[in-house]
Amino acid sequence: MKTRNMSWKRKGFILAFLAPTVIAFVLFYLYPIVTVFVTSFCKWDYTNITSPEFFGFADMWNNYKYIFELYPYFWEALRNSTIWALLGVFVQIPVSALIALAFSRKVKGVKFARNVYIIPSMISSAAMGMIFLQLYSPLYGVVNPVIRLFKQNFSENILLLKGPAFIAMTCAYIFFTGTTTLMILGNIMAVPEDVREAAMLDGASGLKQDWYITIPMIKDTLRTVSILSATAGFLLYNEVYFLTKGAAGTYSISYVIRELAITSTRTQFGRANAVAVIQILAGMLIIVFVNLLYSQLFKGKRIRRNGGQS
Amino acid sequence: MNRKMKSNPQVRTMSRGTKIFTYICLAWAVLVALMPLVWLFISSLKKDPLARPGFQLPESICLDGYISTFRDLHVMRYFGNSMIIAGVSVVISILMISMSAYVVARMEFKGKKLVNLMLYSTMFIPATALTYPVYNLVNKMHIYNTRGALIFIYACSGLAVSFFVIKNYYANIPHELEEAARIDGCGYAMTWWKVIFPIARPGIMTAGVLAFLNNWNEYYWASLVIVDREKLTVPALLSTFTTSFRTNYNGLFSAMVIIILPPVILYCVFSKFFVEALSGGAVKG
Repeated sequence: MKTRNMSWKRKGFILAFLAPTVIAFVLFYLYPIVTVFVTSFCKWDYTNITSPEFFGFADMWNNYKYIFELYPYFWEALRNSTIWALLGVFVQIPVSALIALAFSRKVKGVKFARNVYIIPSMISSAAMGMIFLQLYSPLYGVVNPVIRLFKQNFSENILLLKGPAFIAMTCAYIFFTGTTTLMILGNIMAVPEDVREAAMLDGASGLKQDWYITIPMIKDTLRTVSILSATAGFLLYNEVYFLTKGAAGTYSISYVIRELAITSTRTQFGRANAVAVIQILAGMLIIVFVNLLYSQLFKGKRIRRNGGQS
Repeated sequence: MNRKMKSNPQVRTMSRGTKIFTYICLAWAVLVALMPLVWLFISSLKKDPLARPGFQLPESICLDGYISTFRDLHVMRYFGNSMIIAGVSVVISILMISMSAYVVARMEFKGKKLVNLMLYSTMFIPATALTYPVYNLVNKMHIYNTRGALIFIYACSGLAVSFFVIKNYYANIPHELEEAARIDGCGYAMTWWKVIFPIARPGIMTAGVLAFLNNWNEYYWASLVIVDREKLTVPALLSTFTTSFRTNYNGLFSAMVIIILPPVILYCVFSKFFVEALSGGAVKG
């Protein structure tokens, strides 16, 4: 099969099978990315919708300067999105891993808990956002009565208070890790039996076994889902839109892009694309960061495959 | 990835501490998942949620909201839209990806590295960064404000995840099968369609279910490229609720329950299938 001189038939087959994906990639990724990068150096807004014009080399960073120095929400958005990305790695993944480990044990009710836990993941985050908007309502919600236990006569909308609004928004999505948990669980169940048995002979059982044997065995999956949830946190949009629309210090990078490019009455395509360039670069940084983090965490933590022969 | 456990050795050796800890985790999982939904359901039965806020039970059960929602909202239309858009786009993207993943996983050719790199790079690229160019492209293709626009966007986005799930699955299929089919006189395309595609079905299904869920729940693009109310998908419809139910809270809650109920019921019926698909076939529902 691996001969150098490919027959025409074979070449044609390879081309035909790759073509649709390559076309999709060019249309949806390559062309837009090139546009984003190029036009981030152009004057392009509601005054010249059809003809972006290059600033010239002397002023090529104009859009970036505006974003960094004048646009009031950029730093707030970058800080929030970064915090959400970090929470994805340091809160969502440890919690999902703990729950996945619990799901992997054969105890009564585990199947029920597992099936229930996936339900919120079947519901769109838009709907979850709407539900939390109601939960936080000062008129009929659940949160204000609880606060009133500690602080009488509290009647404000927590989504309008700087600080609490950010926490409230984070709580609206961070606990729903159904798909992540299932992906981790899938990998835990695929850990070969002999490895676990060897660990048991070594005297490692329960939590100890999880920590020393299972976690290192599933580190690749953990790394993948860490990247996924850090990225999802960094891109948070629906929650911002449904809960606060950016009020009380809750802007996110995605929200800024959408506002500049589409929803604002004075659309600023060039500037929106400058923010998009920053978002793309930050996305790459996230992947580098997670990879570094995992290679540090699991340094020297090798599993002894043939251990336990005592 | 797909070696299954025949028995779980922990059954024999679970200490008391482990057991308690496990139950704390399980309780947390159930509580977190059910609390908002139960509250939503209770509230939808209250005639006036303002009079009995929080977790207080309704005085009497009021179904007015449900009746009016079914009468006025045409929920089925929006479910139909979501179904068509998510379904068609998944079929297109999964077919496309399972073809290219096959070529990349099983054949040697020039530029293979490039294709790999290209698909891997889409993982770094946040779709929201492409907001304006894609919006522009949709306009130029004259599909703005049509279901086709969303089908196009969903079919092209999320390439990377599907690609790697399916490619990993192909990589585990023994080469002999293909060779046998080739000797029997099958062409390349026939070998793929008749032999490889059916064997790789679990992997393809996992990718398909993941993609379907993503597309079904997608809000960002849905709210961007579709304007006409009758073409909206379910998540996009939700954002119109805050204005259309401004003071009718009973109606708002009922409509929300109706909106989230079908996926939940579907999941309850097919939970076995979903759990198995999402965990890569390793967890039997």
